[in-house]
Amino acid sequence: MSLEKKDEFDHNAWLKRKDLTPIETTFLMSLIYLDQRLRIVDYLEVLETLYYRVNLQMPKSHTEQYNLDNKFWYWYPLYSLGFFSIVAYIIAAATGALLGFYYTPSTAGDPSMAYNSVVAITTDLNFGFYLRSLHRWSAQFMTAAVFLHMIRVYFTGAYKEPRELNWILGIVLISLTLVFGYTGYLLPWNQLAFWAGQIGVEMALAVPIVGEWGAQLVFGGFTLGEATIVRMYILHVFVLPFVVTALIALHVGIVWMQGIAEPH
Amino acid sequence: MSDEETKPDVQSGGSGAVAPDDETPSWMERKTRSTGLSRLTYEYFERARREDQDLRTESDYVERDVLGFPTWPHEVIRNLAITMFFSGVILLIAATVPPHLGAPANPSKTPEVILPDWYLYWSFGLLKLNPLNPGLEILGGDKIISDQLYGVLANVVVVSAVAVVPFLNKGSARRPVEQPFWAAIGVGGFVFSITIAAIAVQNLIPLSLALQLNLAFVLPIVSGIITYAVLKTMREGYMYDLNRRYYRLRPPK
Ligand code: HEM
Repeated sequence: MSLEKKDEFDHNAWLKRKDLTPIETTFLMSLIYLDQRLRIVDYLEVLETLYYRVNLQMPKSHTEQYNLDNKFWYWYPLYSLGFFSIVAYIIAAATGALLGFYYTPSTAGDPSMAYNSVVAITTDLNFGFYLRSLHRWSAQFMTAAVFLHMIRVYFTGAYKEPRELNWILGIVLISLTLVFGYTGYLLPWNQLAFWAGQIGVEMALAVPIVGEWGAQLVFGGFTLGEATIVRMYILHVFVLPFVVTALIALHVGIVWMQGIAEPH
Repeated sequence: MSDEETKPDVQSGGSGAVAPDDETPSWMERKTRSTGLSRLTYEYFERARREDQDLRTESDYVERDVLGFPTWPHEVIRNLAITMFFSGVILLIAATVPPHLGAPANPSKTPEVILPDWYLYWSFGLLKLNPLNPGLEILGGDKIISDQLYGVLANVVVVSAVAVVPFLNKGSARRPVEQPFWAAIGVGGFVFSITIAAIAVQNLIPLSLALQLNLAFVLPIVSGIITYAVLKTMREGYMYDLNRRYYRLRPPK
């Protein structure tokens, strides 16, 4: 008795019988080779099932579904503002990570090391000026987009009943976005940064009971200095990125579950 | 392997760690047995399911099988197109309008212009409302709260006002024409966010402070009233179209 398999799973015999072109043979041989080792067929099956599920369930568009006579509501383009906020946030995060490599959060020296490192980024570093510019502008665009997104949600009534939670979350998000901007504004340690920080300390001190404690926690004291810039830096590159990213994920997750509010 | 190795008493309970079959509570039994919060949860789920079912059978309208837009392809394609364009705009503007880096920080020299970035102007404007901080006659015209605290409170009030909107305005209306009042509030709020931001840069605008403070509050109200009037006027025609479309899609049974 030979040890050769002679059943229907003898792929080589099957290949011979099929009379294939060289391309087909190579393809099938490599497929069989990989499949015998990695069970590719299983994964393909999963993909196939997914494909059919998606396509079978591919919904008609809203306008087709309801056979609306106007196919385009003039507010629809504004529905992409939320997504655009995310993209601008990602651009800011990527450029920010690169800027972080070269920035020094310290007020030592005159002008401060922080200021000098920003000058070095813009003048010595290849593409440094563009990097800083991109970071700045994507942050501006994100803030603007978030504000406009809020306005579109308001005027399309998308905040109503089952979506209050997302509205509240949104307010937390827009506040954190502004804090993001504020902490970043202080980092270059130029005149504008310093005096904006001064206003921040004064505001914090004006709050009764928790004011002084808050000023100490956030600004590291009542006069601006080394502690302030380090805290702003940690907030800007460590605390806020984690918190905001998580909250955006939650926000979008809820939208995902609830669906976009349907206009009619 | 011989069957004799396994003892009969262990066999009934599998590994022995699991309760014998007839003692394992069924799903139904767990439901009825549970107490307290989990019991309440089960009951609520049952009720909610029954409520949905009742609503569905009683509904006058054709059942709506789509409650929102499909994310794919409807939303995603449009978002990608628009977002790609504006990402391009970011790249282009960043290349053509690089940011300015002013003089280094100097604690001993107060600059003429102290400003945050533009998106905080509204908040900064609210901090500058101290001329409106009321004094009390009893205290000889003294202010009850410091100007700074007044500004901080103004910020808190504005943010809270935005936060409570979904709890005041409910229902299924979506378009501004359906609720002219809320649209007017929205337009008023939007205009206020601009006029109050103008207060922040008050010293750069050639108008007197008193006039600007008046404008900051009058303009939003006026624009709110105009919005209300316009939408009220448009409403009848709009609502006719909306209703016609609505009932054509979901005809009363
Ligand atoms: C970091 C800031 C934010 C991000 C990244 C973000 C992202 C998104 C995205 C991607 C959507 C899907 C629909 C769309 O794109 O319009 C959405 C929906 C929504 N957002 Fe935001 N958002 C942010 C801030 C806000 C703010 C400030 C508010 C309001 C105060 C808000 C309230 C809502 C609500 C209520 C929805 C559901 C709208 C609907 O179902 O039509 N979001 N958000």
